[in-house]
This record gives sequence, structure tokens and C-alpha cells, in this order.
Amino acid sequence: MWRITVKGILAHKMRLALTAIAIILGVTFVSGTYILNDTLHSTFASIFSNVYQGFDFQVRGVAQLNDAGGAVRNPIPESLLPKIKKVPGVKYASGSVIGYAQFVSHKGKAISNSGAPTIGVSLALNSHISYLHVAEGRMPTTSNDVVMDAATAQKYHFKVGQQVRILLAGPPRTFTITGITRFGAATNLAGATLAGFNTPTAQSIFGETGLFNDIYVVAAPNANKAVVERSIDRILPRGVDVATRQTVVNEETTVIDQGLSFFSTVLLIFALISLFVGAFTILNTFSIIVSQRIRELALLRIVGASRRQVFSSVLLEAAILGLFSSLAGLGLGVLAAIGIEVLLRGFGISLPSGTPVIAARTIVVSIIGGMGVTVIAAIIPAHRATRISPVIAMGGQQSDSLLFHHRFIWGAFVSLLGMAALGLGLVLSTILFVGIGALSIFIGVAMLAPALSRPFANVIGSFLVRTLGVAGKLGHENSMRNPRRTAQTASALMVGLAVVSAVAVLGASMSGTATSSVDNAVTANLIVSSRTSSVASVGFSSAIPKAVSTIPGVVSTDMIYGGTPLTGQFRFRHTLETLESVSTHHLAGTVVLHIVAGTSQALSSGDLLISSSTSKSDHLSVGDKVPVKFALTGRSTMRIGGIYQPNSLIGSYLVSNSFYLHHYQNPLPTAVLLKTNGHPAVQQKIEHVLVPYPNVWVQTRTQFEKSQLAQIDKLLGLVYALLALAVLIALIGIANMLVLSVFERTHEIGLLRAVGMKRRQVRTMIRSESVILSMFGAIIGIIVGTGIGIALAYSLQSSGITDIVVPVPSMVAFLVISVLLGLVAASWPARRAAKLDVLAAIAAE
Amino acid sequence: MIGVFREIPRREIDLKPRLLALDNTIMNTFVSPEKPLNDISPTPAAHAVDLHKIYGTGQTAVNALANVTIAFEQSRFTAVMGPSGSGKSTLMHCMAGLDSPTSGKSFIGGIDISGLNDVELTQLRRDRVGFVFQSFNLVPTLTAAENLTLPLDLAGKKADKDWFDYLVGQIGIGDWLARHPSELSGGQQQRIACARALINRPDLVFADEPTGNLDSNTSTGVLSFLRMSVDELHQSIVMVTHDPRSAVYADRVVFLADGNVVGSLEHPTADSVLEQMRNLAS
Ligand SMILES: Nc1ncnc2c1ncn2[C@@H]1O[C@H](COP(=O)(O)OP(=O)(O)OP(=O)(O)O)[C@@H](O)[C@H]1O
Ligand SMILES: [Mg+2]
Repeated sequence: MWRITVKGILAHKMRLALTAIAIILGVTFVSGTYILNDTLHSTFASIFSNVYQGFDFQVRGVAQLNDAGGAVRNPIPESLLPKIKKVPGVKYASGSVIGYAQFVSHKGKAISNSGAPTIGVSLALNSHISYLHVAEGRMPTTSNDVVMDAATAQKYHFKVGQQVRILLAGPPRTFTITGITRFGAATNLAGATLAGFNTPTAQSIFGETGLFNDIYVVAAPNANKAVVERSIDRILPRGVDVATRQTVVNEETTVIDQGLSFFSTVLLIFALISLFVGAFTILNTFSIIVSQRIRELALLRIVGASRRQVFSSVLLEAAILGLFSSLAGLGLGVLAAIGIEVLLRGFGISLPSGTPVIAARTIVVSIIGGMGVTVIAAIIPAHRATRISPVIAMGGQQSDSLLFHHRFIWGAFVSLLGMAALGLGLVLSTILFVGIGALSIFIGVAMLAPALSRPFANVIGSFLVRTLGVAGKLGHENSMRNPRRTAQTASALMVGLAVVSAVAVLGASMSGTATSSVDNAVTANLIVSSRTSSVASVGFSSAIPKAVSTIPGVVSTDMIYGGTPLTGQFRFRHTLETLESVSTHHLAGTVVLHIVAGTSQALSSGDLLISSSTSKSDHLSVGDKVPVKFALTGRSTMRIGGIYQPNSLIGSYLVSNSFYLHHYQNPLPTAVLLKTNGHPAVQQKIEHVLVPYPNVWVQTRTQFEKSQLAQIDKLLGLVYALLALAVLIALIGIANMLVLSVFERTHEIGLLRAVGMKRRQVRTMIRSESVILSMFGAIIGIIVGTGIGIALAYSLQSSGITDIVVPVPSMVAFLVISVLLGLVAASWPARRAAKLDVLAAIAAE
Repeated sequence: MIGVFREIPRREIDLKPRLLALDNTIMNTFVSPEKPLNDISPTPAAHAVDLHKIYGTGQTAVNALANVTIAFEQSRFTAVMGPSGSGKSTLMHCMAGLDSPTSGKSFIGGIDISGLNDVELTQLRRDRVGFVFQSFNLVPTLTAAENLTLPLDLAGKKADKDWFDYLVGQIGIGDWLARHPSELSGGQQQRIACARALINRPDLVFADEPTGNLDSNTSTGVLSFLRMSVDELHQSIVMVTHDPRSAVYADRVVFLADGNVVGSLEHPTADSVLEQMRNLAS
């Protein structure tokens, strides 16, 4: 049987090649994601072990909020340093502070590498401890000195001795570059920019005079490190601890890995969608191959092949195909990793590059995934092969109308089950159920598709007959010859387009919500905010609100703190949440809160306001007391003072500015809301004042709305780009199916040509078949996807999606694009069919 | 030929059944098909009792076989003839376990195959029955040699080298063993199919119009091979044919019409077959 299988594969090389491409692409995406992830991990790990080479111990504040992401730690008193230096076995010790410092380029632009942090640090003059190596120039010694990381200096053409303006928590200042630094061999910290100051300067500009974030300790060479660590620990006050170098490296790497794992999970979801679409193509190819080999398989059964042998022969063929395709995909994964990186960079997410890492896990997952998908997809055709009655070898045909009927019932059942799972997943917000639900709906609809395909094809077909004549008619009839095959082929495209449409609905709903949120939440005329995306924003100089409030024409100024992932972290009951704050003076004039219960006045008395979705999910009402924890101030309880309607701009937890300022170390404002007299000149004046702050801009509400929408569009663009592969695989499936049916109908095409069909008509015939296929797949996909999208958007209401929008023009565009791509997919099969030699084709069995 | 004969590794030359059969033919040229045959010969290679096969239901029901009781003796070459649609193929399918009869029993070497499940039937086909059809006997992706040993490969057995060489020598395609079916003539393909039917030394070979697609010259090659396998290897063969010239290669001809056995002829000659056919047609 082994030999028959191998011979079968070799004989069907051509037919399997396109199928292989479908698997290869899917596996490439999977392995590319893993390779990228592992490469980034090893890059970061090596950067960290490089950076943290010099010291043995780090003394730092105890982690306060460390459930997720990096631990939030409080600064420690400077006075610890001399005490630590006196501990026996300590050779060197030096304190350091870290904070926000952003370079301004020669052109006056705020420098930031697409959301990577802009870090300012104090540099220890002691070169034994410093994790930065001054490659050029010297260490900063005066309060006007700064050293710059080599990557920034290179990219923005800064040289030692030049002046550079730096944005800080306070007013911006100009420094002289005294040196360029490197991190061991690396020029930068994965995109982060770094400004190094001497210690007193850093302490003053970060508002940490008399404080350190960490103290780095080097033990004497002959000292017993464990003893030294214990001795240090003994003199430390409460709230301060000591960690070894390895611990620190591990902590930092873990933080990065958490970020990476989120990122790779997202990429993997798209990769799995591609593989899933590929599975349909595989299912289809194997079904076609089985039906083309029906007599051969029947013959095998007659000469004594058991059902099991036939079954395993088909599966083995799939396994071999899967294995080779997976290996190819694995190899291409390296390129894909680079490709994904380039794609992400195009969308503004830059990652450090490193030598590609192919972990054993990548190899195992790729091969098991690729082979698994192929083999599972081949199970149905393989099973069908075992049901072939041996008598067929003598020329019968097998009808499957019975099967057909079963499929319909099962299809409906599976779809309903999928809808139930999806609904359950959305209600419980369990992504697994959502995934399983969507998957079952796709499979169910694919099972229903054969029944739907005939009426559908009749509608399109009659149109094709009218416009394309006999070629269109033949194309239509060919597509109806085997409704199941048509449906399977179209199903791959259906899945691709369903996901695209669901994303489109979600995106449109997000855009719609953003628009209405601005209208519903903000009454301010002008909004000052960070130019960087809100996700990466750490806020901006607190000098800005003061500077703009004095401009004539500005009636009121309101600061917003927190509200971005990097600011405002606090523990609310048992989870880490993001807190946002507003000033209470002119609340009504700048921010609109649709209060459901309680009152917004409660803010002034230090109460917490929560959105109604939080109150619902956490079963909280006005007057309840909830436990909270802040890094700076520790545990306490807060009273719920009011509940407001969810609003994506305000978030779910709101306090007053004065509360916020008491509970966070030197917070930076994240937005300033301005009420003006409405004169357009006011905006210009503000812009003028903001010239020294190139990291912020002032926008009217319309402009603000637009930039919010632009962010959503950018995200959508990225998602579409990641989904493009799935659609591409679906189109390969169409091309594959057309090639196979051209092959199958060689004799018939020869006959048609012999009786006078022109080559052009042959091409038209194949193309119209493709149009029917792609339109069918696209339309079902769009309908299913819109349904799923609406369900998703509806379930996200609690996270602030309030408007559900179906973007009809986008849907029409998707349909048109699918049909055009369907024509492209048909071009090669059509040309092949048209080129067939008439005599040879007729002679073909 | 004699040299080859000595090398036949299989059955001991057992003349008893043949003698009995001869005895039988001498006694009576006409054997009534209804008459149980067990008493004149040891267990037949295959036999059927009251086989009944209806295709379809209601208005469209076709009575393909109406109560057929028949036996195919061991080491004999039996031809089955009859007009198109008379149920010849159906009879073979039912007796070979490819199709199940509506009622009645069929036996291969005394084993009741109506009680067998798919796995047992598959095993039976693989080990005890050979098949030759009108066309499409060979797997197109395999070479002639691979096609020849296919049943053994499927059973996971190794081909007996002597037996393989003997069969190859008999069908005279030694030079083309490495070719694929598409590179062989129809006659060559059919001869390979016949040899394959013998490769596992089956109890019985069913051949459904094996020469239906061949010209008379090519047919001769195939038919001589089948005749030889009966004479020298004591193979039992049942062959469906429409051609009286083919039927004369057989030891006995059974006539079917409308799903019934309507006649039988021992030691047929072209003339006796034609006459019988004419009788049945009238
Ligand atoms: N699968 C089937 N479904 C319905 N009727 C069938 C089927 N197979 C055969 N028949 C019918 O059964 C009858 C006997 O058919 P069978 O194939 O046995 O005839 P035959 O003697 O082999 O004919 P031929 O010489 O043309 O091969 C015919 O009337 C035929 O139409
Ligand atoms: Mg027949």
C-alpha cells in the first residue's frame, strides 16, 4: 500500500502542488510567528544580560503592583547608599534614577521609535558599575551634560559637542551632548531612546531629589556573594529588597516575554485562520482526487485492499504531503519572520532585529500543525474512498443524494451549535468559546453550502448566459456539475471573507463609537494630547497646562491624568485596572458624564466613579466600598460615588485630579481639555506656545476625532494585511479546483474545441465558473461575517463600543475585489484549458 | 513447456477431480442446472443456491437474477453466455461477494459468503478469488510488475519468485515489466490482468468479458493463457463472454436469459454454441 501511495503522489504531483502551496503558506505564517517571537526573545535576553553585566546585586523598592507587566516599585531613599557601601564584601555601590526624557531632533520633532519608551537615566561615574559604555566622548559631569544612545545619534545625526533639546516632565531643557553610549555590542535597547545624565541632574529633572530607583552593588572578587546579599538585606528597611543580577535579568526578560506572548498570540490567530482556510483547500483537493481515482480505488478493493488500507492510503498521502509542505513552510518561516517584521514596521511597530532563532518547539508545532491540518482535512475524502463500492470499477457511478440530505441536517445542526457557542463565548467573554463558535459556524455553513449553491448559481448563471452566451452557460453548468465540490471550494473563500467582514463591522463600529464618544464625552473646544498613539503615551510635561491656561481667549483648562496603559495602574479589587482622572472645577464645561446613578460631585470628596458596564459585571452600586491598592500609597478602600454610561474616551474608572496626584509619584498629564471663547486665533496662539513641545499637539474636536479614527484605520489596515494571506490561500484553492477540473474534463474540452469552440470561449467558460465560485464564497462569507461581526461588536458594548455600524460600501468593495481576484485565480487554469491540443485532448481517457 | 511444467510450484497434479469431471461429461452432455452437483464432483470452486437479485424498488424494480442455482466445478473453465442484460455480470458480482444478493446463498470453496462481513469478504477476495474485467484492470500509477503483484502487496506477502517468473513467461511481457499501463497495448494489459488474477493462486477466477475490447488475434493470446492455466495449473475459471469463438475455449458453457439459467453445453464447439444461441433466441 505504501508503494501505491507514493506512486499516487508522484502521479498527482501537479494536482498536489497547488494544495501544497496552501499548506506551505499557512505553516510559513505559523513558523514565522514563532521564529519572530523567539528571535525577539533571544535579542532582548542578550540585550539585558549585556546591559546588566556590571553589577552583582540590585537594591530596589519592593514590587507593589506586579500582577501583570512590569512590577511597579517605589523609589528608595538616597541615604541607603552609604550604608550599603559599608557592608562588608561590597566593593562598589551606586544609585540610579530613571524617568521620562525625550530628545527633540534637529528638525524640531520629538524623537520616539514608534511607541518604544523614551528613557532618561542617571549614569554612575564609576565605570565598574555603569551598564552603559561611553563609546565616544565622555560621561556627563555637569548639569548641562547628556549622553545619547548610539542608535539615536546615528539616525538623527547628532554628534558629540552638539546641543540637543530634551522634553522632560517639567519644562524642556537644552543639553550638550558629551558622549555617545552603547549597550555592550548593541547600539540601542530595542528601539528605546536613552538620555544619560549625571546623578544630581537626573534626580532633579525626574523630581526624585534625595531618592534613587535602584542601587547597583558590585561585590568584592573574593567575597561570598550569598553572604554579601544576606548582609545587605539585613540593613535594608521595610519596603526595600535586594535581588541578584540573574533575578533582575529574568524579571526583565519575563516582562518582555509577556508582551511578546500577547503579540504572538494575535499573530498566531491570524496564522491559524490561514491554516483553517488551507484545510478547506486540502479537503477539496483530496475529494477531487478521490473521485477522479474512483475506479482505481474500486479496483484496489476488488483485488483485495481492505477498507482500512484504502483509508490509510489516502491519509498517508495527506501525511506525506503535509510533512513536506510543513518542512517547506518551516524553511520559509525565516523569511516570513522578516516579512512580518517589515509589515509591522510599515504600521509603525518597530522591533529589534537579531539572528533568526528556530527553536525545537517551532519545528514541532509547524510539522504537527501542518501535517495535522492536512491529515484531518483528508479524513472525510478518505472515508468517502472506503465507501466506494467495488462494482464501480466496472463502470457504475455512485450517487450520494442520501449523504447530501444528511449533510444538510448536520450542517444546520453544526451552525446552530456554533451560534450557541459563539453566544456563550461572548456572554462569558471566553475567547475559546468565541473561536470554537466561529469555527463551527464556518464548518456548518460549509456543509449547508452545497444546498445553497444551486439556486445561487442559477441566479448568477442566468446573468452569465445572457452576457457571455454559450461559454457562460457551460461555465455555469460546470460549476453545478458537482455542487459539493463547488461549495467546498467556495467555502475557503467564505471563511476568509467572513473574518474580513467581521473585522470590518468591528472596525466600523469602533470608528462610529469613537466619533460619538468625542461628541458624548467632551464639550471642550480644543484638546491638547500626545502625538504618539494613546497606547504608548506616558503623558507630557506638566508645564504645558500652565503655559496654555494663560493664553487670552482660553476660558478654562482641565487636565486629564492616567487613562493609558502606561499610566494610572491600580489594583481594583483583584485585578489591575487603569485609572483616569479629571479636574472637578469645570467638569461640566469640558467633560460630559452621563450619570446613571449617584453624582459626579462625589469626585470632589475622593470617591471613585465607575462605568455602568463595570458596575454590572462586578455587581457594584453607589455607596459600595471596594478594596483598592496604589503603588505609592498602598491598600485602602474607596467608595463608589457614581456610575456613568460607558465611554471609550473616559474609560471605566474615574477619580478627581487631586486624588490622583496624591496616589501617583509625579504623574504627567495625558490630555488637556480647553474651553475657549471660540476664536480660531486661540488655537494658533496655543500652537505657538506648544512649539517647544513637539510631542504634543492641539486639536479641535473634529481633528481629535479624525486622529482617533486614523488610529483605528491603521489598526484595521494591519489586520487586513494579516488576513490577506487567508484570502490568498482561498484563491489558490479556487485555482487548484479549476486546474483539477480542467484536467478531469480534458476529453470534453477537446470535444468542445473540435466542434468549434474558440480558445477565447474556453477561457471565458473557465472564468465564468470562477466568477460563480468566488461570488458565491464572497457573498456567504460577507453575510456570515457580518453576523459574527455584529455579535462581537454587541458583546464589546461593555468595553465601550456603543454604535454598531455595518459598512456597506466596504462589503461591496470586498465582493468586487473577490470577483476580480477570482478572475485572476482562473487565468492560469483558463489558459491551460485553452492551450490543450485538440487531438491529444480527445484521445485522453 | 514440459520444463516449465515441472517448475509449477503449486498444486500437486491431482487428476481425480478432472477424471470425475470427464466421467461426468461422458455420461451426460446436458447437466440440468437445477440438479445438485455435489454428488458428481467434490466441493465445487463456487456454487450458488436460489440466488435472487432485484435492483431498485416498485415500478422500476429489475429482476436481474431470478432463483439461480448453479455450480462452477474445480479445475474447469466455464463460460457464461447470454444476451445483454441477462444478468451475467450480476451473477458474477453476487457469487464473488462484490454485491449482495436479495436472497439466496453463494459459496466459494464451500464457504458461505453471504454471512461474511466486509473485512472477511476483502480477505476472501484477496486470497481466494481472482478477477479480470473488460477494461481498467490495472492501476495506472503502478508499473506492469507492480500491478501483477498488487494482491500480494496488499496482503503484505512477498511474491514467490518462481511463480512470478513462470506467469511472466506465460504472458510473454517480460520486456515490459517496468512499463506503466498507458504504455501497453490493450492485449498486453489484459494478459497482465489475467496473470494477476492467478498470482495468489486463487480457488477461482472470475473474468467478465476479458476479451470484450480486443480484436480476435489479441483475444487468442488471452484465451490461450486462461486455457493453459486450467490445463496445466488446474485453475478454475468462470468467464462471461458474448463471442462464441471465445466460448469454445471453455469446458462448458452456461446460458443465461432474463436472470435464469436456460441451458448448458459441455465441450462446446463454435457450431454447438451458435446453435444453442439460436435455439434460445427463438
Ligand atoms: N446497479 C444497477 N441498478 C439497477 N439495475 C441494474 C444495475 N446493474 C444491473 N442492472 C440491471 O440488471 C440487469 C442485469 O444486468 P447485468 O449487468 O447483469 O447484465 P449483463 O448480462 O452483464 O449484460 P451485458 O452483457 O450488457 O454486460 C439489467 O437489466 C440491468 O439493467
Ligand atoms: Mg455485463
